[in-house]
Amino acid sequence: MIGVDKLSKSFGQNQVLNGITDHIAQGEKVVIIGPSGSGKSTFLRCLNLLETPTSGTITFDGTVITDPKTDINLVRRHMGMVFQHFNLFANKTVRQNITLAPVRTGLMSQQEADAEADRLLERVGLAHRADSYPVQLSGGQKQRIAIVRALAMRPKVMLFDEPTSALDPEMVGEVLEVMRELAHEGMTMVVVTHEMGFAREVGTRVLFMDEGKILEQNTPEAFFSNPQEPRTREFLSKVL
Amino acid sequence: MDWKAKLWLDFYQSFIEADRWLLYLKGLGVAVQVTLGALSIGVVLGVLVAVVRTFHDQRPPGRRSVVLGLLNLLCKTYATVIRGTPAMVQLLIMGFVIFAGSRNLVAIAILTFGINSGAYVSEIVRGGIMSVDPGQMEAGRSLGMSYATVMGQVVIPQAVKNILPALGNELITLFKDTSIVTVIGLRDITKVAIQIQSKTYQAFMPFFGIAVVYLAVVMALTWLLGILERRLRASDRR
Repeated sequence: MIGVDKLSKSFGQNQVLNGITDHIAQGEKVVIIGPSGSGKSTFLRCLNLLETPTSGTITFDGTVITDPKTDINLVRRHMGMVFQHFNLFANKTVRQNITLAPVRTGLMSQQEADAEADRLLERVGLAHRADSYPVQLSGGQKQRIAIVRALAMRPKVMLFDEPTSALDPEMVGEVLEVMRELAHEGMTMVVVTHEMGFAREVGTRVLFMDEGKILEQNTPEAFFSNPQEPRTREFLSKVL
Repeated sequence: MDWKAKLWLDFYQSFIEADRWLLYLKGLGVAVQVTLGALSIGVVLGVLVAVVRTFHDQRPPGRRSVVLGLLNLLCKTYATVIRGTPAMVQLLIMGFVIFAGSRNLVAIAILTFGINSGAYVSEIVRGGIMSVDPGQMEAGRSLGMSYATVMGQVVIPQAVKNILPALGNELITLFKDTSIVTVIGLRDITKVAIQIQSKTYQAFMPFFGIAVVYLAVVMALTWLLGILERRLRASDRR
């Protein structure tokens, strides 16, 4: 579904990604972990071209999205993204946050989008918040809305960039619960996270990144019980 | 005559005789008309210029097109030239060179002040756009919306709220600056005062009188802007 070939990214002199090659298949739940500064967020942000790769190619459903001739807006409509800091539109209500993109991109009429928003809000238990503004919500509520906003576009894959890192500890659970449900429904997911429990439980494959490279990857069971690289062992000994 | 009688004569000749107060009122109408017209042009022009310049600055250097580069250069030149020359000189050039044949002085004044104001508004708006969290644009783009859609629907509305005090200031400055339209012969309230002074030889009442009028309008505007600001902040509160 997503093919990544020799992907590199530098910010000035600073090389953040160093020739990453990987393939993400439909239905996979790929969890990316690693120390801060290892390039995991940059890697994720390259997948929908929020960062422009310095070199290498990325293909999505057979389209080479790194080709400058590709209309990236069309590609992004199939890739949902959830951010660490939620990034809900501050000037819109919850319902408007959800319906803006489907309506503006011509995917749905306002009426259809409103109905879809109500259905999705019901599902994450926030129907009563439809007319609130983001500033009136808790962090956990904001992140659930952000997930729902991405889902309203009916994406084929969901990218999560440290979705629980900015949350109070007691709100982490409600967000992970929504993500868990999404995983069970068969959504293809790529998740950058520090939640090792989630990685172990929901992930189908764990990537360990360090210094801009994928150092090691395996199924969660094998990865956590039997890490191969010294660097991986060192990292896991600190976080587990 | 004692001073009280003198003052009354000044007042009578300046405002009451020959219904002169009506002239001031008409002059004030002209000033307001020029201000509102110029502000509309200024805001539209300012937003356009600000968006071009922000878009240009946000593109990575390798991915800017020639057209965008030229547009950016044009916008920068516009801001430099307009902010670098006095409004009165711009008015003289527009009134006596570019539109020398036209007698529609109100339109000339509106256009001149609109172009003038646009240069200042563009810098205000640019600051406002930069003050909006870049995550807002990223979130919008990640959903597949175009740069223009996210700009218009999400970023600019938030920017406007942030820059409202500065825009209000611009409106007030603009209103007061319209008094220089006298140089092209437009009969605004200041011109009316000058003409009445030259007829009655009374200077105190006409000039203090219009000073009070300007002050009253500015205070009213400040009050109205305060209300607008509080309404726009509705989404900020719990």
